[in-house]
Order: sequence, then C-alpha cells, then structure tokens
Amino acid sequence: MSVWRFEAIGAPWEIETSAPLPTAARSAVEGVIAEFDAAWSRFRDDSPVAALARGAGSVPAPPDTGDLFATYSALSDATDGAVNPLVGASLESLGYDASYSFAASGPVSAPGDWRDRVRFDGGRLTLAEPALIDVGAIGKGRLVDLVAAIVAQHVRGDVIVDASGDLAVRGRSVRIGLEHPFDPNRAIGVWTVTDAALCASATNRRAWGDGLHHVLDARTGEPVRAVTATWAVAQTAMRADAIATALFFDGGARLAHEWGVQWVRMLTDGRVEWSPGCGAEVFRTTASVEP
Amino acid sequence: MTRAPHRSVVRLGALVGVAGALGLTACAPESSAGAAGGEEFADGTYSAEGSYSTPETVETILVTVTLADGVIADVEVEGSPQRPESEQYQGQFIGGIADEVVGKPIDDLMVSRVAGSSLTSGGFNQAIERIRVEASEAAG
Repeated sequence: MSVWRFEAIGAPWEIETSAPLPTAARSAVEGVIAEFDAAWSRFRDDSPVAALARGAGSVPAPPDTGDLFATYSALSDATDGAVNPLVGASLESLGYDASYSFAASGPVSAPGDWRDRVRFDGGRLTLAEPALIDVGAIGKGRLVDLVAAIVAQHVRGDVIVDASGDLAVRGRSVRIGLEHPFDPNRAIGVWTVTDAALCASATNRRAWGDGLHHVLDARTGEPVRAVTATWAVAQTAMRADAIATALFFDGGARLAHEWGVQWVRMLTDGRVEWSPGCGAEVFRTTASVEP
Repeated sequence: MTRAPHRSVVRLGALVGVAGALGLTACAPESSAGAAGGEEFADGTYSAEGSYSTPETVETILVTVTLADGVIADVEVEGSPQRPESEQYQGQFIGGIADEVVGKPIDDLMVSRVAGSSLTSGGFNQAIERIRVEASEAAG
C-alpha cells in the first residue's frame, strides 16, 4: 500500500492506495480541496462565506451548496434547531475565529429562523441579513467524499481517505480504533468498516479551556456537555459526519435510525451507547450492560 | 401523613423503565433517614425526584411510594419526559448502553486506523500554546 500524507483545511490527511497516486491524481485532489476551502472557509476573507458575512447579500453559489444545505435542513429538523449552518458567529463569539484568538466573549445563539434567511436558487446563495455560515458539521465529510471519488477515478483497488477523524474506505475492510476521548493512547472499541465511511467527533481536541470547544448548541451558543465523543458509519462521509454531529443532541439517534446509520457515542459521565444492530465492538464490562 | 421530598435528586440510571424499578428498591429504604436495611419505616407517603440525562436535556421523574404497615403499598412514577424522544430511547433508537467501558491500549489492538476528534494542525496548536503561555504569565 502507498500512503500520501498532507495537511489541508486545518487537519492532517492520509490517502492510502494500492499503487502510488499519479501526479495528475494528486493535482486533482489538491484542486478539489482548494476549491472547497476557497468556497466554504470562514477562516479566509476572500471566500464567499466571508463576503456574505460582510454583507454582500448574494454570491454565486459554490458547488455543493444544494447538498450541504439540504443536509443541514435535515439536521436542524431532527435536533430541534441545535444544528444550524449560521452558527459561525456563535463559534467566533467563543473565540474560535479566523485569527484563532480563543478569546471568549460569551455565548451567542444562532438565528433560529435560518431557513428564512438563507436562499439558494438560480445558482446564487443569498442571505437576507449578513451572517457567518459555518459548514463544520458536515463540510469535512463532504470533502472526504469528493476526494475519495477523485482517487477512485485514477487508481484501481482499495482506497482509504483519512482526514483525521473522518474516513472513507473503498474496497477492503479496515479495522479502526475508537479513540478514548479522555486518553488518546487507548480505544473504547474497534469497528471494522468495509466499503463505507466512518466519521468521528469529539470535544477533547479543538478545545481551548474552561469547557470551551467546537461543538456548540446553536440554540444557546454554548458548548455541548452531555456527550463527549461520537462515531458513525454510513455510505457517505457527509452523512456519517452529519450523524456524528447530530448525536451530540436530542434527536440525533432518531435521525440515524431514519437514515440507517450505525453509531456509538460516549457520554461525559463515561457511559457508552450504541445503535441497534451496531457493528462496532465496544470494550465494555459485562456487568455494566443494560439491558 | 406526608413527607416530601426526602431527597431532592436521586440518580436513577439512564432509562425510564430501569429508573423506575431501580429507584424503588434503592430509594425507599434509603429514604428513611439513611437507615440501613432491616430497619423499620414509618408509614406514610414518600416522594423523591430522580433525574437522568439524555443528550442535552436532563429529564426528571417523581417517584412516590406509600408505605403501610412497613411495606410498600403503592408506587407511583410520574414521568413527564420533556421531549417525546426520551420515551423511546430504550428500544427503537438505542441498541445498548454500557455504564462503563474499558479503554484498551491502542498499541495492543492491531488496528490500522484510529478515529477520534480531528487532529489539530499547526495554527490551532500554536494558538493554544500561546494562550497557555499568556495564561501562565498572567498567573505569575
């Protein structure tokens, strides 16, 4: 197997293929990542997202706009508004801003009526009022899908795209450890994933002290506290990523059920839950299982 | 004769059904002034609130036990989960719950990949380090 490592959208990536990726394939991968970052990054001031936040009103809709907002709509419905694509200002207010200031100035809720404020038609993305879009709940999953598709066009055989927490596996089975959120040298289980995507989310990294981290409840602007780590397996990384986020909130398990997505999550009190029929092996003490 | 509530919060576990069952055995004896097993209980009606967490909500239930001649004569559990999904937590959407898991060393697991939170890269880590330094200087 051949492994290509690089850093993109603020995280280390690895692409594992049976044969080395040709230069053309690498260029195509770099191209799609650059395009996605240019379109959706709230950390760069030349993105349409930044322009909308400054009050541009309307911008040419980047590719993926329809799929991303349709998925946010399902997430928002399922979680009663806890997941919201206009949560950018809430993240900034807690200090997770473009300059990584991590200077928290208090929780700010995201506009609950986001659907009335966001319009996507005629190839344009329009905001009724300036707001900061953040597609963090599903954006990386979407990008993993895009990258995996490009890689599959260029090389035959098995492919693993590992964007550090979000993985797409094409072909062979991969045994994946579920990292213990309180101890990165340990795992709370293993999951053998075949021809599917596994996305993980946890509050232990991208945290900057005093209970502040990157998973917010958009209704309050406060970091979540009941759940500390989630893992979901779905056909696409975008859906796995979406469920990995939704599982931090009431309603996530129901949406996973509707989408046929399997999952595991760890609560902050140390308990671990999993979906009916879940294929993961969780290292539990037999005495503690109920029922 | 009514005494309520004895304990403002009794941790009852994760599930409504289980909470009801556990709550009674655990809560009734303890509620009599922390008495050990075997002690007599005064007749009367005792109520205690229990709470359990769901993601992002804490549900409470009120358990009322009536004791007559030292035995439980009646039990009432008033559960009003704040969100309808909570009632369905224990079957349709959740396959199982473990109160405790064992973290096994990743080196022993023969896994080829590990998934947790995204590893953070340069900018984020530098900023965190900067804050650490500033915070320690401010403290000093």
